[in-house]
Amino acid sequence: MSYRIIDVSGDIGIRAEGKTLEECFIESALGLYSLVTDLEKVDLIEEIEINLTEQSIEDLLICFLNELIFHFDAYGFLGKSVFLKINETYLRGKIKGEIFNPQKHERRLLVKAATYHNLKLKKENSLFVAEIIFDI
Amino acid sequence: MPKIEGTERIDPYRLRVPKGFVSGMKTEGIIYVDEILEEGLEIESVRQVANVATLPGIVGKSLAMPDIHTGYGFPIGGVAAFDAEEGIISPGGVGYDINCGVRLLRSNLNYEEVKPKIRELVDLLYTHIPSGVGSTGKIKLSHKDEREIVKKGAIWAVEQGFGDAEDLHRIESHGCLDGADPDAISSKAYERGRSQQGTLGSGNHFLEVQYVAEVFEPEIANHMGLWKGQVTIMIHTGSRGFGHQICDDYVKIMLQALKKYDIELPDKELACVPFRSKEAQQYFSAMKGAANYAWANRQCLTHWTREIFFKLFKISPKQLAMTVVFDVAHNIAKEEFHEINGKRKRLIVHRKGATRAFPKGHPELPDCYKDIGQPVLIPGDMGRVSFVLVGLTKALEETFGSICHGAGRVLSRNQAIKQAKGRSIKEELAERGIIVRASGKETLAEEMPDAYKDVSNVVDVVHNAGLAMKVVKLKPLGVIKG
Repeated sequence: MSYRIIDVSGDIGIRAEGKTLEECFIESALGLYSLVTDLEKVDLIEEIEINLTEQSIEDLLICFLNELIFHFDAYGFLGKSVFLKINETYLRGKIKGEIFNPQKHERRLLVKAATYHNLKLKKENSLFVAEIIFDI
Repeated sequence: MPKIEGTERIDPYRLRVPKGFVSGMKTEGIIYVDEILEEGLEIESVRQVANVATLPGIVGKSLAMPDIHTGYGFPIGGVAAFDAEEGIISPGGVGYDINCGVRLLRSNLNYEEVKPKIRELVDLLYTHIPSGVGSTGKIKLSHKDEREIVKKGAIWAVEQGFGDAEDLHRIESHGCLDGADPDAISSKAYERGRSQQGTLGSGNHFLEVQYVAEVFEPEIANHMGLWKGQVTIMIHTGSRGFGHQICDDYVKIMLQALKKYDIELPDKELACVPFRSKEAQQYFSAMKGAANYAWANRQCLTHWTREIFFKLFKISPKQLAMTVVFDVAHNIAKEEFHEINGKRKRLIVHRKGATRAFPKGHPELPDCYKDIGQPVLIPGDMGRVSFVLVGLTKALEETFGSICHGAGRVLSRNQAIKQAKGRSIKEELAERGIIVRASGKETLAEEMPDAYKDVSNVVDVVHNAGLAMKVVKLKPLGVIKG
């Protein structure tokens, strides 16, 4: 399980890998949070729940990430620990983390949205791989 | 030989993307670049210009300005107009930051008066203007307030005591688009917008203290209240999370509606629906609400900027005379009338990273600019220069009255961070007399001058192509960023 940053000209992307689809989604989420702040400094204090049903698995990934962006932008919620269950195009998630505190948490990028631009979500050998470009 | 195979040079400032560059193009594309800027042209951005030309109901050509770079669906720097009866509207042709735009304030202070106090001024601006990731504003809005902002835009801000009614005359569309519908906006957008009114944001947004370094057109500059050596303020921000959420909501709605309208797309981010459809009308009225939120935002920031100047320079509002020169939107779709082959047509003009640049005499211009044309504000990077231009008739004839919006990036954020390693961008800029403050750890590296094209090259193309005319050049003295 891992994620890394992908370089694109105007914005930034994340490549996430996991042994299962759930792991791949979790790594995508942690990759997103790592763009916003240093996850080392985030404690497990609050918890949010997310339930989504979409038309396709790609839609599910984009909507899931945009849901996390919404919870940060509206309420300052930063996740660090993500539990997910995906059943076809239904996702149920619990995310533990903390509310952003500028005195404690590093300010990195302001992520506006996860986009469909060059979106990849596929199985490569034994791994699920996702590539998502974010609008910054 | 053009750098990108399949494109054709028309003249020193125009490159053609012929029909057939991608399949299904209904019209050709024109990219305004000279040979210098053509060197940096990305194939993907050219393909995006071509993809836009495949969309239903496109009128005229698919256009891109010299600050073109790859965006989502539409290129950044893209201009495309669609027939209001038979064409589409696309959130991707507007962008996530709806009505991201630029406002310029003038003052009666000159360079010599401000220079000795610039550090103190930048510190005060940085302390009092909320900026950066996770920052919330000083204004807490009720749901009713947000609905009022959606309907009234900058007028709401003036009613709350942020600035003067006089400011409204010098804003594109007077700071308020009619027809915004508060009910077309999701509760999530309202949640995101609740504490972000009166905030700068992050990324390439900024508030800059500048001075007029060069005057190209003294008479026009004088008409705008600008003179050499004068201190000006430039504000670059948009509709914040409120607009981002509206874009996100409607991309989703439109993707789901594609089948219904039998629209096939080469790229999901081009998601669009016929302008006459219910989904389109809802998006358009929600987008107008976000545009109005952005105009209120720049109005609130104007008010606090003035307060800081009064306090620091111990000067009265009348002595300071910090009035609005103009305020432009550079991520927006607008319903406009244009003459096409001798016929007046109602069009939906998408400007994504492009600025309206109407010539003198245009009926949509405020009285104060009817005789000279619309001021167009083009910011550069924080270490170089910015420009004020005026729109010319040729822009109306060729580009639906539009020009570029800024410098355009050349380095990715990561490349910029790598190149800035071991350097202090803050000190480098200070050596050049520019004081900067940013809240994000890497913001200065990501936004350093080397990360951008030289805006002078970009502006020269629109000037030489006859779309607009350079009026003044502005140089930065101090910058705050998120």
